[in-house]
Amino acid sequence: MNVIQVEHIRKRFGNKDALADVSFSIPKGEIFGFLGPSGSGKTTLIKILTAQLHPTSGQARVLDQPAEMMHHSVQKMRFGILTDNSGLYERLTIEENLELYRQLYALPKSSISKVLQFVNLSEERNKRVNLLSKGMRQRVMLACAIIHEPELLFLDEPTSALDPVNSAHIYKGLRYLHEKGTTIFLTTHDMAEAELLCNRVAILYQGQIQTIGSPKELKRQHRENVVCVDLINGEAYELPIDEGTADRIADWMKRGLIDRLATKEPSLGDIFIKMTGSELL
Amino acid sequence: MSISLKRVRAIFVKDYKEFSRNYAVSIILIFPIIFALLLRGTDPSLTGVFGLVLNSSFVILTTFAQACLIAEEKERNTLRSLMMTPATTMDVLIGKSTLVFAMSAVVLAIATYIFGYEPVNIWVFVAVIILSIILYTAAGTICGLFSKTLLEASLSIIPVAIVFTGAPGGALLVKDFPIFKVLEYVPSSQLVNLLNIRNIGYTTGDLLKPLLVTLAWTIVFIIVAVVLYQRRLKDE
Ligand SMILES: Nc1ncnc2c1ncn2[C@@H]1O[C@H](COP(=O)(O)OP(=O)(O)OP(=O)(O)O)[C@@H](O)[C@H]1O
Ligand SMILES: [Mg+2]
Repeated sequence: MNVIQVEHIRKRFGNKDALADVSFSIPKGEIFGFLGPSGSGKTTLIKILTAQLHPTSGQARVLDQPAEMMHHSVQKMRFGILTDNSGLYERLTIEENLELYRQLYALPKSSISKVLQFVNLSEERNKRVNLLSKGMRQRVMLACAIIHEPELLFLDEPTSALDPVNSAHIYKGLRYLHEKGTTIFLTTHDMAEAELLCNRVAILYQGQIQTIGSPKELKRQHRENVVCVDLINGEAYELPIDEGTADRIADWMKRGLIDRLATKEPSLGDIFIKMTGSELL
Repeated sequence: MSISLKRVRAIFVKDYKEFSRNYAVSIILIFPIIFALLLRGTDPSLTGVFGLVLNSSFVILTTFAQACLIAEEKERNTLRSLMMTPATTMDVLIGKSTLVFAMSAVVLAIATYIFGYEPVNIWVFVAVIILSIILYTAAGTICGLFSKTLLEASLSIIPVAIVFTGAPGGALLVKDFPIFKVLEYVPSSQLVNLLNIRNIGYTTGDLLKPLLVTLAWTIVFIIVAVVLYQRRLKDE
């Protein structure tokens, strides 16, 4: 079953297409990375999928319902969302913030301790939010987004501006959710993060998906057909993969001259730049 | 649109905690009481003075508190987060308004007691006060929706203060400016009229007119506030 099914979605703001024609689907349990330069329409798509915006045309289904249905309370029990404009109540403690969410989702009392453990904030539960660091704040917001153990989780740049330790906390949590079968829709500007977490990624540019697949597949598709050879004397070669190269390498090998031998794989970042013609943002 | 009492209560409790720790705003709770204390020595036949206490308290306390609560949720993005939970528009609006209503009712009851005002008909008086609190809460909702920050919220209540608190004063000039006749129908003027009714020689109609006029205003303001709330929080 596909948890998200998007068909020819187009979204126009004024006379400019934020999304021109986007189609893809996400099966249950996948971590899907939605990549694209700033302004490419990632947040816009999340808003469409969570019924905050109507598409200009096209259809989207989320959790087996039309996306417009997502504003119903019953459907809201089924997904969680963390975006760059999520907010917390500054004068309340972490626990009081979570208590609000617990009651809104009608959950048992135990859910608070559980989710606090999950984001590693059990010790700080009685701290006021206005005293927290950015990383802790982000983890509290994640806790609010997952306290009801949703089937589907939208994360819009969950680790932007976090240090590696805080990011690692969040990754650990996401992997655990993934093991439990949660489907995760993630946008990020961090290619290493996408490569580390995502089963599949799509690269969005000029309102359209330029390429989609697992990071491994994409790298294979975009691999240049060359081998890189570093010799122990410091010389380095990029050679085409053919018979001549095979002979040269065999020769170097026999003479024990090879220091490093590798195929030339692009990183996800390289592919991103190639697809979007823009620098990473 | 569904309303869940549990969710309304959760929002109410949350807002109560936030409000009670927001000293800059919660200090306004004492203003009506200070007004009443300062003005209580005045001649009791000067019901206009008590009208002024009530009419200014509605704006300074009720409208201001509600506008701040809403503007702050917008400023901090918490309203957006709330809208992604099962809480509905009405859950949020009712939860907040109930808090502001309860605070206003308690504070105004104390102020009335301190001032020593005794209404000719307690039920009509209470009904008009209750309707007014609802009306000014709705006005606060509208102010909050048009402001992005707490500061803007504080400024946005000024027009409400001028029109509503100022209306009874303006209505006195009706002889010179016939156009000011309309100010007679502003709820604050109606409240002053109600307060002015003396023990002798009034009809049921005299009592009912302020009640009905205020009721009409309240209904209109509730509708405007709810519609606007749903409109302003959309992205398009
Ligand atoms: N409510 C709106 N009204 C008009 N234009 C909008 C609106 N929301 C977004 N846009 C425009 O649509 C385009 C896509 O915006 P969007 O926020 O979806 O990008 P994004 O991929 O999330 O960017 P970022 O990586 O910076 O978060 C941008 O050009 C933006 O200016
Ligand atoms: Mg975005």
